Amino acid sequence: MRLPITAGVATAAVALSLYPLFDGWNWLWSALGAIVAVIAAATLTARAPVAAPFAPIAGVAGLLLYLTASFTAKHAFLVFVPTPSSLRALARIAAAGFQDIQRFAAPVPEKTGVVLIAAAGVGLIALLVDMCAVRLRRAALAGLPLLALFTVPAAVLPDAVPWPVFVFGAAGFIALLIADGRERLGQWGRPVLLHRTHRAERADSTPLGVAGKRIGFAAVGLSLAVPFLTPALEPSPLFGFGVGGSGPGGNTITIPNPIVGLRGTLTLPASATVLTYKSSDNKPRYLRMHSLDKFDGVNWTMTPADGRAEHRVADSDVPEPEGLSTQVPVTPVTTEVKVADQVPELRFLPLPYPPRRVRADGDWRADPRTLVVWSSRAEAGGMTYQVESLDVKPTAEQLRAVGRPPRDVQRRYSFTPEVSEEFRALTRRVVADAETPYEQAMALQRFFTGSGGFTYSLQVPEGHNASALEEFVMRSRTGYCEQFASAFALMARLLHIPSRVAVGYTGGSLAGGVFEVRTHDAHAWPELYFDGIGWLRFEPTPSGATGQGTASPPDHSLPVTPTGDATSSPTTPEDTASAAPATPGVPRGDNDPDARRGRDDRGDGLLGQDALQEEGLPVAAQVGLGLLAVLLVAALPIPFRLAVRQRRRLAGTVHAAWDELRDTLEDLGIAREPNESPRALARRLTEALGLDSDAADALRRLAEAEERLRYARAGIPQRVAPGDLPLVRAALLAAATRWRRARAFAAPASTLRRLRGLGTYLLDAFDRLDNIRIRPRRT
Amino acid sequence: MAVGSQDGTPHLNAPAHLNAPISAPGLGGPLDELADTARRIHDAIESVIEGKSAAVRLTLTVLLAEGHLLIEDVPGVGKTMLAKALARAIDCPVRRIQFTPDLLPSDITGVSAYNQQLREFEFKPGPVFANIVVGDEINRASPKTQSALLECMEEHQVTVDGVTYELEAPFMVIATQNPIEMEGTYPLPEAQRDRFTARIAMGYPEPAAELEMLDVHGSSSPLDKLQPVATSAEVYRLIEAVRGVYVAPGIRRYAIDLVTATRQTPELRLGASPRATLHLVRAARAHAALSGRDYVIPDDLQDLAVPVLAHRLLPSSEAQAGRRHPEQVVVDLVRRVPVPERS
Repeated sequence: MRLPITAGVATAAVALSLYPLFDGWNWLWSALGAIVAVIAAATLTARAPVAAPFAPIAGVAGLLLYLTASFTAKHAFLVFVPTPSSLRALARIAAAGFQDIQRFAAPVPEKTGVVLIAAAGVGLIALLVDMCAVRLRRAALAGLPLLALFTVPAAVLPDAVPWPVFVFGAAGFIALLIADGRERLGQWGRPVLLHRTHRAERADSTPLGVAGKRIGFAAVGLSLAVPFLTPALEPSPLFGFGVGGSGPGGNTITIPNPIVGLRGTLTLPASATVLTYKSSDNKPRYLRMHSLDKFDGVNWTMTPADGRAEHRVADSDVPEPEGLSTQVPVTPVTTEVKVADQVPELRFLPLPYPPRRVRADGDWRADPRTLVVWSSRAEAGGMTYQVESLDVKPTAEQLRAVGRPPRDVQRRYSFTPEVSEEFRALTRRVVADAETPYEQAMALQRFFTGSGGFTYSLQVPEGHNASALEEFVMRSRTGYCEQFASAFALMARLLHIPSRVAVGYTGGSLAGGVFEVRTHDAHAWPELYFDGIGWLRFEPTPSGATGQGTASPPDHSLPVTPTGDATSSPTTPEDTASAAPATPGVPRGDNDPDARRGRDDRGDGLLGQDALQEEGLPVAAQVGLGLLAVLLVAALPIPFRLAVRQRRRLAGTVHAAWDELRDTLEDLGIAREPNESPRALARRLTEALGLDSDAADALRRLAEAEERLRYARAGIPQRVAPGDLPLVRAALLAAATRWRRARAFAAPASTLRRLRGLGTYLLDAFDRLDNIRIRPRRT
Repeated sequence: MAVGSQDGTPHLNAPAHLNAPISAPGLGGPLDELADTARRIHDAIESVIEGKSAAVRLTLTVLLAEGHLLIEDVPGVGKTMLAKALARAIDCPVRRIQFTPDLLPSDITGVSAYNQQLREFEFKPGPVFANIVVGDEINRASPKTQSALLECMEEHQVTVDGVTYELEAPFMVIATQNPIEMEGTYPLPEAQRDRFTARIAMGYPEPAAELEMLDVHGSSSPLDKLQPVATSAEVYRLIEAVRGVYVAPGIRRYAIDLVTATRQTPELRLGASPRATLHLVRAARAHAALSGRDYVIPDDLQDLAVPVLAHRLLPSSEAQAGRRHPEQVVVDLVRRVPVPERS
């Protein structure tokens, strides 16, 4: 009877790990009920000899009865007997549950359907565990369904599952293994003992259980500790957040890939109003919704948004914009946005970048990296909200002084797929005359909007994978914002400028004192990262009548840097002047072989191997750091040992000296017999190691002092001659081999033994906890 | 402690450090006198028996521990010589009893005889009424006669015809015996063996010692030239001093551990008795005092474990089949039982 109960408990322990998925605890009671129903049904059936093979079927039936009674009692016959109508109701609830799961991100509100699915799922897992552990007697195999259950939160949640949850689940599984071991041992029969006590009615499995527990605890402890010691790699969730994700399904919110939906929006026959807004300075502003920061060669996608409760915009400011230093002049702007009623399923707020504070009703959360504000349950349709954002106006010096971005930013935003050498060469040619990252970005923008001869057209196939972008840039040069923005961002990455693609709306058009943003204003544009300034918008898409109507290049990408700073103004024309003449020749100007070679050389420097090596170094450094950490941990006994020796030296007592001598012997691997008195030990050492007479005398004095203290009457002085111990120690070390000496220093056996003793003590404490068991008193 | 077996009989050879000279602490007091007197006796015996320093020292240890000594070995190795030398070195009444199969108990304890002049029964003390009693070839007597020694050995008194006579202190029985496999012997009963504090074996002398013995014994018996070097009163004072030697609680515990180990090991059918524990600790006191210490250390017990314990033990049939002698078992036990650490 013990095994089925343990199977249920183990399932319940692992099921606890689901808690971060739900917004409440009702699901747990339902799930526990399901476990009890399944285990009880299967166990009761197994008691009847004929019906034993049908135990799993009985488990399913028990689960069905339980679910019927809990969720569709009023459709059922006698509360729990399923009828066709109750089954249909159950299916309806489940379908609604699946829809809720699709709609909401974790934690999911506890609607009936969700609870039903949770209860049924946990019940089925319990059935599998029961089947493996109890019916088939393969307790280890039961770990698989338990693991499956455990992977659900691990896979769905962006954050790691808290470690106590893992410990709890693992403890459940270990308990199952131990119970199985006991049952197995118990089947060998009853031990023959003189005294028939209750305990003796089955084989004594306590030592086995203790050993099993020790191994189990050690395994769990190691599995918790080892990841801390090994070099950590960036954790990558198994499933994306949904945007451009790996297909439907999963317990995540799904929204259409924003960039893919652009053309559909732009080619709508009628352009509907999406939102209107007023800004404090009465200027139009791009409103960003999504930030696509990952490019895998096929799609620009979004890193799963990090929607922690602490980033709820109602409670706190939006996190600091990435990379923006305090030296950059900024102007705060307040924008009030009113979203049209009929806009469906708008879960990302259109906001000017960078937002600092958002006042919106509902549970909206900001992603700290991209500053995208989103919600898994509220919708923006019909909403009015206020945004305080910043107008970032970097000076020309600041733009020119931009250096290489920090490594972590570069790593995150720099992945580029394989592209052809021609494409790389073209990229190099485009920016041939640019000195700084900012000038390179400007050159790219000029390439797209002017010198490159690009044409805006919605009549092109969708898609922005690497080869399509090459085709777009190298040959067709016809496309719309999707291609422009993607290509710009990709080329920026080839130049090692961190980039991402923003999707949202252009600033719209002024109508009756407010800006009106319509569906045709849907847009994608590149954002480039500059160290010290942060993310800046660029506009490669042609604007006006032949392009995206309301698109406009940002101020900082205009030829005249919009700075009020008088001192910087002389540099601006010069900048522009130097850049301007070069512009016409850039794309096709490869007639001059010298110039080309020079450019190529520099280009290699920009795009070549050194940058790649830079990427490689951190991994080696990480491994090195990991090794260093392991070494540090391994070297911990050394200072411990030195401290102990110092403490004893300061104590100066006979016992301290003798303890130190014994530890030194242990460190040197000189065994000590249990029956050896101090005197005998001294005699043996003197003879075996051939100590000289001084050391032998010192050793004898130490031994006699210790002996006197142990066995003679009290009242003996407790000090020892200060020179004796060092003399003996030196003699012992000199008699040892070099390897022994090194080991005595690096891995002192005495200290290691103490540490092991500490571990054993802790394990024993666990064992004692385990031995506390409640037993009904027998009368 | 090495166990030699030259002729199938275990011989106990004392460890080298038991041959260490008797040392004085140099602090003055009774221990100094003890060391002085003990050295004199030791030297006197040594002048008679060559190269048996360890046996002599053990004999002294037993004397100071108020115990009795059983010397067991093949004939002709100097058992009786040792007993007689000790008796001669101390100026005190010494009696020698030659045990034979027809010896009667009253031949040992004494008889009540009717005094015709006084018209009453008069007690004629037997040879046991002495400070040192040398029982030669004790296992040649019948068990009944051997048992007559029991009371006087343990209780230092003799009861004849309902009257109890106290024996004078110090009282020591030095018995010699041939190995029990020899012809014409009665094995000593366990109860009696238990009353002997220690059993030692003489062992054959070293060739050099034997050569010297030939030289010395060739002309005259050195025993005749041996003059007493101590009085019985002096020996009694030494015994008093030995009683004052300190035995730490840890050491007492260690003695019990050793004895308990003999009771628990499957190699022994009969373990050591509580009396053995008592004898062990007493002997250890004497051993410590002879080493010039006023406290007992584990080494004292370890050195004495075989002579004090082994003769009381009976090996199990498995040990007998494996030709394991109790001496070897004790050596192994001593190796296993940990010495007391600090209290």
